[in-house]
Amino acid sequence: MKILHLYHDIMNLYGDYANVSAMKRVLEKSGEEVTVDKLSLADTAVLADYDFIYIGSGTERNMHYVLEDFKKYADDFKACVDSGKVILLTGNSFEMLGKTITDAQGNVYDGLGLFDFTVTEQNKTRMTADAVEACDFLTRPLVGFINKCSEIKGVKNPLFTVTMGLGNHDGDKNEGARLNNLFCTHLTGPVLIKNPHFLTCLAEKLLGRAPESDWLTHERAGYEITLRELRKRSQSH
Amino acid sequence: MKKFLTILICKLLRFLGKLIGKGSSKPGQVALKLCPDILSRMQLPQYIIAVTGSNGKTSTVEMIAHILQKNGKKVAWNREGSNQIEGVTTLVLAGSTLGGKVKADILLIESDERFARYTFKYIKPTHYVITNLYRDQLTRNGHPEWVYDALADSITDGTQLILNADDPLVSSFGEGRDNVVWFGANRLSTDTDTLESVYNDGAYCPICKAPMIYSAYHYNHIGHYRCDNCGFYRRNTKYTLTSFDMDRGEMTIDNRHTIHLALKSLYNIYNILAAYTVASIVGVNGAEIAADMNDYVLKNGRVITFTLGSRKGTMLTSKHENSISYDQSIRVASACKEGCDVMFIVDAVSRKYFTSDVSWLYDIDFEMLNNPNIHEIILAGKYVNDLAVRFSYTDIPNSKIKLFESIDEAADYLNSDRKEYLYVITCFSDKGKFLVKVKEEQ
Repeated sequence: MKILHLYHDIMNLYGDYANVSAMKRVLEKSGEEVTVDKLSLADTAVLADYDFIYIGSGTERNMHYVLEDFKKYADDFKACVDSGKVILLTGNSFEMLGKTITDAQGNVYDGLGLFDFTVTEQNKTRMTADAVEACDFLTRPLVGFINKCSEIKGVKNPLFTVTMGLGNHDGDKNEGARLNNLFCTHLTGPVLIKNPHFLTCLAEKLLGRAPESDWLTHERAGYEITLRELRKRSQSH
Repeated sequence: MKKFLTILICKLLRFLGKLIGKGSSKPGQVALKLCPDILSRMQLPQYIIAVTGSNGKTSTVEMIAHILQKNGKKVAWNREGSNQIEGVTTLVLAGSTLGGKVKADILLIESDERFARYTFKYIKPTHYVITNLYRDQLTRNGHPEWVYDALADSITDGTQLILNADDPLVSSFGEGRDNVVWFGANRLSTDTDTLESVYNDGAYCPICKAPMIYSAYHYNHIGHYRCDNCGFYRRNTKYTLTSFDMDRGEMTIDNRHTIHLALKSLYNIYNILAAYTVASIVGVNGAEIAADMNDYVLKNGRVITFTLGSRKGTMLTSKHENSISYDQSIRVASACKEGCDVMFIVDAVSRKYFTSDVSWLYDIDFEMLNNPNIHEIILAGKYVNDLAVRFSYTDIPNSKIKLFESIDEAADYLNSDRKEYLYVITCFSDKGKFLVKVKEEQ
C-alpha cells in the first residue's frame, strides 16, 4: 500500500503528521507492506499511484501559498475523488477545495472548485473549541479540536453534525464536507489517533476487509476518557 | 479628580486583595471600568520595558528585575505574572503616588502576547523585548503567525525593539525598522547541522515562504538561517552568547563574561541573555550583570528540587500545549550521564480553561529519551492512555515505560530504593498533585 502525505512540512500544525503514522500502523498490523511518501511544494506527485492521500492544517498564509501549488493537481485530484480513492483532509486544508477564499485583507483566491462552498477569513477572533461530532457511517461520535478563523458557507454535503464545538460557519450545525471517499473535517491534529473507530473505518475502505484492531487498547481507553470529559463539560454548560 | 479616585480605589482594592490572598487582576479591572484611559493619564518613568513572547517571559522579567534592583534601580514589575491589561493597570496604579506619578526608575512589564495591543495602546514601551514565538496553547493562541500579527499591532514607532535573532519569526519584526537591537547565540559546541525536532517551523521563510537554509541549529528551529529568495537572514547580534559548556554548566557572553548556571538548559540561557541585554541597555556593566546572574536560582517555581523517600529529584515545570517547553526539559533529563528516571504527568491540560486536547503531545520530541541515560519512564494522570499511545510512536522499549492513571499511586511506586535521580516534567496545572507527595528543598 502507498500513502502520500502531501505538503507534510508546511501543512502540519499540532501533530497532524500522526494521522499518517496511525494509518501506516493499522495497515501494517493488518498484514500490508506500506510505504509513505512525504512530498511538498518542490515536488510533483502522481496522485493516482497512491492508495491513501492526506493533507493537514496550516497557518492561513501557508495555506494560501500552498493553494497556488495545489492547483497543478486540480484535474488529477478530481479524478482521484471520482474514482473513490480514500483521501483525508484535516484543518483548513479542505478550504482549498471550494470556489473561493477571501482573506482578512479582502484578497480573493480561487479554489479548486471541487465543492461549491466559499471561505471567508478574518483576523480578529480565533475560533477554537473542543469538539464532539456525529455521522451516519460511524456508530460512535468523533472527538477532537477545532482551531480556525474562517467561515465556510454553502457546503451541500457535510461530513458531521456538531454535538459540541463549531460548525462550518456561525450557527451551522454541520461540519466538514464529504464527496465519495474524500473526507474533509476542520478537526486538527491526530484525528485518526484520537478516534480509533474512524481510523479502522478508513482502513477498511482501503483494504476492502476489516483491519486488525485488537491492538488499539490505549487508543480506545483514551477516546472514552476524552468523550466522557467533553460530555461532562457540555452538560455543565 | 476622577484620576485621583481611580488610583485610590485601585490601591485600596489591591491592599484588601493582598490581605485575603487574591490575585492582582481585579483592582486593575475596576480601575479600567472607572476610567478606561487611566494608563495614559499616569506619569511614567524614563524606562518602560516590556517583555513578551511564548516562553520565558516570567523568568526573563524576574531576572531583569533582580539585576536592576541589585544595581540600585527602583523597579515596578508584575511579579505575579498578571500579564494582561488589568494586571498591568494594577501594577502601575498601585505603584504610583495619588497624583499619578509612578514611584520607580523603571516600569517593567511582562505582557501577554495576545493582549499586548490593548495594553500598549495606553502605555508605549521605550524598550520592547520579544523572546520567541512558538507553538503554544493552540486552544487560545491559534498558531505562531496569528500571534505574530497580534503582536505586530502592538508595536509603535519610537519603541526600541530587542529581538531574538535566532528565532526567524521574531527576528522578522525588525525588517524595515531602525532602532532594533538583536541578541542571540554564535555557533555553539552543542549545535547540530540538522534539525532535531518533530516538526520544522523554520522550513519556510516567514517573509516570502521560500525554503530557508540553516547553517546551524541551536535547538528546534532556533539557529542560523537565511533565505536566498528574498534575502532575509539571521542578523548579527549586539549581545551574544559566545559559548556554552553544558558539562561545566557555564555560559559566556561577548567572550568576556562567564556565568555559572543553576539550570543547564539553552532555554534558560536565552532568558539570561535577554536579561543581560536589557540591563546593559539600561546602563549596568557586563561584569556586574554576570556576577548577579551567577548561580541564580529562579524564584518563580519553574524549577523545584525535592526528595521522595530516599530519592532526590527535580521538577521541571513545563507548559502543556507547548512542545518546545517540553523538548527543553527532556533535553535536560537526557543529558543526565549518571542515569535517571523521568516522569510525565498530564492530568488537567490547563489550569485556566477547559480542554481535552492532546494534539500537542505529537509535537514533542519524546524520541530523545531513547538513550541509555534514561532508565525508567513513568507516565501518569487522567490522560495516561494518550501518553502511552504517543510513546508507542517512539522506538523507546515498552519495558522501560510504567503507566499510572493515579498520580498518587505513581508517586508511591517511585518512592522505592532505586538510586536513579528523578526528573518530573509537567505543567503548572498538574504540579501540585505530585508535590504534595514529596519534600521540597528550600
